[in-house]
Amino acid sequence: MFINWKLREINLKIVYYGPALSGKTTNLQYIHAKTSPSIRGELVSLKTRGDRTLYFDFLQLELGQIAGLKPRFNLYTVPGQVYYVGSRKLVLQGADGVVFVADSQWDRLRANVEAMRDMEENLRALGCDPRVMPLVLQCNKRDLPNVAPVTLIQQQVGCNGVPCFASSAIQGIGVFDTLKAIINLVVARTQKQL
Amino acid sequence: MADEIAQILVHLRRATEAECVLLADISGQLIDAHSRMREVDPVLVATLAAGDVAAMAELARQVGEESPRGAVLHEGAHKSIYLVNVAGSFILIVVFQAETPVGLVRLMAGRAAERLQALVARYEEQLAWPQTLPTTNFRTALMDELEKALGELPGR
Repeated sequence: MFINWKLREINLKIVYYGPALSGKTTNLQYIHAKTSPSIRGELVSLKTRGDRTLYFDFLQLELGQIAGLKPRFNLYTVPGQVYYVGSRKLVLQGADGVVFVADSQWDRLRANVEAMRDMEENLRALGCDPRVMPLVLQCNKRDLPNVAPVTLIQQQVGCNGVPCFASSAIQGIGVFDTLKAIINLVVARTQKQL
Repeated sequence: MADEIAQILVHLRRATEAECVLLADISGQLIDAHSRMREVDPVLVATLAAGDVAAMAELARQVGEESPRGAVLHEGAHKSIYLVNVAGSFILIVVFQAETPVGLVRLMAGRAAERLQALVARYEEQLAWPQTLPTTNFRTALMDELEKALGELPGR
């Protein structure tokens, strides 16, 4: 969290993390498409010619003043492809909370586990304890036929006890619930620290 | 301290006739902005600049630089961008007309970065302290506001 007293803003950085093609960018695209232009900025995507995230996507949401401060949420995605590990670490820097977007399909279970391990390693390398980082699990692609049970995904990625949402980001199901949950956790953690 | 930072940024903008001078922290949080580019969102500029500086620093580390703190320059057809790392924790961003000599921008931005260095060290100390949220009801008020903003959406 970053409070800029001069601009009277409170900034929160939330990172959408997960394996390749799990729907991280789709979450941001849905939020961008369905929020009023008065509260959101431009959706910026640094992507390859093949439309895959190369560095990150970025979207900011801004609410009206609360107790004299304007809350601003900076939402980022990381590139999911394995070889962009360096970029993922850079984007994670300064994160206040993470949404882990898991791909619910049976054949992606292992990729979810590897992405979670990668995230934990990157957080540790940045000096953050993954156990205290506010985290929300989103089990995405629930609209597809070949999906594993949510409880199994939770267990596999080691997210028992973490808020979890079954979603279909492409249809918008669970997208806002996930966003609200992570913001709630981040602000709660900040207040607890004080 | 905010006024002193603002003074340095304003002086730099005037000296280089820059379109925009910003100071952000290394993670892309905007600290201060002095811009006449109404169409450009300073928060977005800060975020992208942070990504660029971080990637360049990592690239430099990969080729053997031990503590890379260099600058990044983009020379455009109409507007150019100069990013300077300040004390390893902040980024000074200058957007200037392509006709402005790059040497002048380098020189003035370098001087501004030196002056900022002392100030931002103090600023960093301040940031390291717990930053108090205004009231204990802040979370409830924020969640209500968020619910209202997202709840008004069509087609949910």
